[in-house]
Amino acid sequence: MSGMNIWEESVGDDIWIVGVNGRLDQNLNPILEQHLTTLLDEGRTRLVVDLSQTNYINSGGLRTLVTGWRKARQQQGNLVLCGLDGRLQEIFGMVGFDQLFQIYPNRQAAQQGLSQL
Amino acid sequence: MGVKHVLTVPGRYEEIQKICQFVAEGAAESGLDETAVFHIELACDEACTNIIEHAYGGEGKGEIAISWQLKDSTFTVTFHDNGRSFNPDAVPQPALPPTSPDPKSAPDIDNVKVGGLGIHFMRQLMDDVQFDFDEKEGNTLVLVKNKS
Repeated sequence: MSGMNIWEESVGDDIWIVGVNGRLDQNLNPILEQHLTTLLDEGRTRLVVDLSQTNYINSGGLRTLVTGWRKARQQQGNLVLCGLDGRLQEIFGMVGFDQLFQIYPNRQAAQQGLSQL
Repeated sequence: MGVKHVLTVPGRYEEIQKICQFVAEGAAESGLDETAVFHIELACDEACTNIIEHAYGGEGKGEIAISWQLKDSTFTVTFHDNGRSFNPDAVPQPALPPTSPDPKSAPDIDNVKVGGLGIHFMRQLMDDVQFDFDEKEGNTLVLVKNKS
């Protein structure tokens, strides 16, 4: 079941989209971390995390995203986000992470943003 | 005085969603709005994670007792555990990016430290956070949200 909650898609231009369905909490955070780590270890450093189907995130989820973002940046890539609903935007804003991450309204805009990297 | 609703569960990560649901349903039943319910749910999630990680030092080391109560316009959630003394006030503030944009400086990869984020959330999301430790009773954490 957990495998269906995190998905990956290659969209060309060496950009990968990682999607999260449901609650990004203690159950899903390690699985997302595993996906991001595997991609980054393979040298896939242009990543979009699609949160349009994510209805919850806790501090562990934010830590997972920051770790991925940091690793991508250290390899001259980037990890950007898209599709945050109002609640997620509020949480990101509360800790200044809306300034840390590049956040796009949807995956098309995120892909475009990453293509200019 | 409002009725106190109590739930006791093993201190395991898989129990956290059940705890959050128990408290969130109580908050909704007590007439708190959707945003407040969401804030309470996230604060409870962070509280339980801290109990498992810091007070117990891992999963399956003890129980967490949670209760909620509405008194007048105040919704109170109380957590008890029998782990090590864990005082959130002793945890340093996380080093976070500025909350307003500064186009001149890109976020510094090395300087963003996200430890202590859970406690930061609890303080941001709730109207009051109180901690107490007693040799006999263990840790007591009280989270308060006022009905708007």
